[in-house]
Amino acid sequence: MTVRHSVLGKTLREQRRALLAWMIGLSAVAVLYASFYPAMSSPDLTEAMDSFAPEFMEALGFTALGTPAGYLGSTTFGIPGPVLTILLAAWLGIRAIAGEEEGGRLDLLLAQPVSRWRVALERFGALVVVMAVLAVVLFVALLSISGPADLGAIGPGNLAAGTIHLAVLGVWFGGLALGVGAATGSRAITTGVVAIVGVGGYFANTLAAPIDAIGWMRDISPFHYYSGGRPLVHGLQVADVAVLLLSASLIVVLGTVRLDRRDVGT
Amino acid sequence: MEPLHGHVRPRGARSVTPAIRTDGLTKRYGQRRGLAGLDLEVHPGEVFGFLGPNGAGKTTTIRLLLDIIRPTSGTVEVLGMQPRVAGPDLRRRIGYLPGDFVVEGGQSSRELLTFLGGLLGGVPKHRLVTLADRLDLDLDARIRSLSKGNRQKVGLIQAFMHEPELLILDEPSSGLDPIVQETFLGLVREASEAGRTVFMSSHVLSEVQRSAHRVGIVRDGRMVAVEGVDTVRARAIRRFEIRFEVEVPADVVAGVPGLDRVVVDGSVVRGILEGRADPLLKAIARYPVASILSEEPTLDEVFLAFYRRPEGDDGAA
Repeated sequence: MTVRHSVLGKTLREQRRALLAWMIGLSAVAVLYASFYPAMSSPDLTEAMDSFAPEFMEALGFTALGTPAGYLGSTTFGIPGPVLTILLAAWLGIRAIAGEEEGGRLDLLLAQPVSRWRVALERFGALVVVMAVLAVVLFVALLSISGPADLGAIGPGNLAAGTIHLAVLGVWFGGLALGVGAATGSRAITTGVVAIVGVGGYFANTLAAPIDAIGWMRDISPFHYYSGGRPLVHGLQVADVAVLLLSASLIVVLGTVRLDRRDVGT
Repeated sequence: MEPLHGHVRPRGARSVTPAIRTDGLTKRYGQRRGLAGLDLEVHPGEVFGFLGPNGAGKTTTIRLLLDIIRPTSGTVEVLGMQPRVAGPDLRRRIGYLPGDFVVEGGQSSRELLTFLGGLLGGVPKHRLVTLADRLDLDLDARIRSLSKGNRQKVGLIQAFMHEPELLILDEPSSGLDPIVQETFLGLVREASEAGRTVFMSSHVLSEVQRSAHRVGIVRDGRMVAVEGVDTVRARAIRRFEIRFEVEVPADVVAGVPGLDRVVVDGSVVRGILEGRADPLLKAIARYPVASILSEEPTLDEVFLAFYRRPEGDDGAA
């Protein structure tokens, strides 16, 4: 079985346009933000930002704007990067099973000599590949702009760590969408779950963190494992990445167990 | 000593395993009934027409055979195996055309068929090209740009291209023009001659009449009739409508043999005729006839002619 004939390879070929569009979009956003750093890092602006309540700034994802890692972590890696990445990942994850099923395209594939496990796992594999490619492109774009934009202090290692964390966050949300879609076969339910977990997870991480009583909420938010260890400052957080990858895999496996047992397309 | 009767055994006695067998096959979708105890047996090598009105359970049956959905109760065996247990190994031996052939539109037919051929373990390129030529399909056009009929050709090619032992075709003729229809019937005939089994559904008798050996009629989730296609054809059931130039009495065709469901409405007489038309023509000749329309009956009418007429052993109602 060559890649060309695999479900994974076929899935990637069908998604190549979306991937290309996202690579361009995400890189453009990253480069735009980065190129503003020299203007943003002036003492005046930093002082103005400091006058806002720190909790408010934290909720908006702004921390330590005056340092290169703080700036990039608050801008590209703060909201726009994750939003763009999660949108693509969720779209791919929803399409993988639920979208194909509701569109009536899954029958033909499942009537072939492939197991449902293989379909789900190869589609998850395709998602991982897409996220990896996206991370590499983003890394190259940021690395090439970091010199001219005075962001060189972050260093290529930590920059790579930041993009890996972003890709893994995408894999997590894509896995969630694929797993819920495989279990339910419903695009609407899957979209709802991803939206609730995305928005809820974001606020649980930023708003709940300072409040002791609900501090645990932060620990179940995927965003905590994405940015809590500050990869742009401290490098790759292996444990955090592992938590995201393992929980995403678990969701995919549970969803596929259900898919394997239920009726398709009724 | 070799058994003397050895040569009497049909060659390949293994093939007595039915190509398809269901026993009390039932499928419920919540409150909705899909199948209510369907019994079906398709012999190896035969072309079986699976007939029924829309919503009778044809597609449900086919999706159960392919393990896309699972039975509520009853048993299914395809090529001697249970679809749920046998999985991919069984599906490799089946060619399937879904009732609604939908695929990603951005790819060419060649791309799709090469991919599916790969999943099937490889299909020689020349076979693809031959089939496309016979059906007159441009393999390099994007599927999105194809007409409904041309898309159906893609569906037919993917079902036939690996020369499977069993073809399961859900409404294969839909969208095909008469010329392609001929080609399709040729493909079915060749498959049958090569010893392969063809199971095809339709809601029109004439579509399967020419290629099938037997037809089964499914209604409300049950098999209500299985007949040799010759038997069905011999009964020559037609629907007719006769318009007279004058109003005719209600008993104008009374006593004519082979009539069913006759309605006399002023100067128009409608009904079902089975067998010879001569007695009917003689009977109506007493009045000036404006026109006679005779056409293929619906499945329901065929069914009624076969099973509701009080001439059989039930004699009820």
